[in-house]
Amino acid sequence: MYVYAMYLEIMILTGCTNRPFYHISVTHRRRLNSQPVIEQLGSYDPMPNINNEKLVALNLERLKYWLGQGAHVSNPVGELLGLSGFFPIHPRSYMAAWRNRRIERENMAKQLELAEKSETAA
Amino acid sequence: MLSSNNLLKKVLPNLIQTAGAHRKPRWLPVAKSKIYRIPKRPVITEEERLELLRINNNYKTQMRAIRRFYHQDMIKQKSSRESATSEMSQRLEAEEWTRCIEINDKWNAQVATEREERRKKEIAAMEEYALARMEKKDILLREKIEKASAEIRREKELSSTFITPETLDSAIDHAIANPTDYNFAIDLKGNVYKGRDTMAAPPTEQKASATN
Repeated sequence: MYVYAMYLEIMILTGCTNRPFYHISVTHRRRLNSQPVIEQLGSYDPMPNINNEKLVALNLERLKYWLGQGAHVSNPVGELLGLSGFFPIHPRSYMAAWRNRRIERENMAKQLELAEKSETAA
Repeated sequence: MLSSNNLLKKVLPNLIQTAGAHRKPRWLPVAKSKIYRIPKRPVITEEERLELLRINNNYKTQMRAIRRFYHQDMIKQKSSRESATSEMSQRLEAEEWTRCIEINDKWNAQVATEREERRKKEIAAMEEYALARMEKKDILLREKIEKASAEIRREKELSSTFITPETLDSAIDHAIANPTDYNFAIDLKGNVYKGRDTMAAPPTEQKASATN
């Protein structure tokens, strides 16, 4: 027997204005915002603290249990778990990385061009 | 713009706090300024697309394996939990049960002795308390009787002066013979003159005038 996608491990935004904070929770797929979650497995603070760290708390044992129950994992949580080494790295992480690299490369090229222009002008 | 959510909020203010959708409702049409806007499609090169396809497929395969692993793990744990009810474990459980019962009996006996002692103490205390109360009540009753008997004695002594049917005539005669007049007059100096008709004897000592 394989439990069909009944549960979902997702991040739930709980912070306030200009202060995002996420709960990593197991919920029913069609949960309304006003309804309670099944279980909270951790939290994620996307704002870097004074040591420039983004803190993630995870209850891996319960995560394993819920995966065994057939829970699905949403993309953002999959990324987090990939970075933490629990899952393989999420494709979106790779994609974001190479796109960021490309943008950086382009910016560098632009700066070089500008520098050459200024040199020729001088 | 009045959505059903806003209406509800107006009708039931703050009774139920829900996170309402902070977007325009589904049934509202596209804004006039946005009718002919064509959103720009993301440009993905062929290389990138193929690479994405490859890593997504890899990821899905790996994830499927991981999920299957944890699912098998769950089944294994479940079966081990179920096998815990096999004969061996049942015998172990029975032994454990008898041991538990022994310990429980011991504790029960201990508690019973303690309870007996406590009950004895409690009964003694109760008896003491009841006796003290009874004594107190006795004393009170005795005091009351004494008071009542003293009253009776006093009344009996007084009863010698009572007017009875035999002594009624003589009492009437006595009263007629000695009329008492309670009227009196006062002069400015505060002297009291007793009697209304008969001039009684003037007061023995003359008071000093109150006016001067």
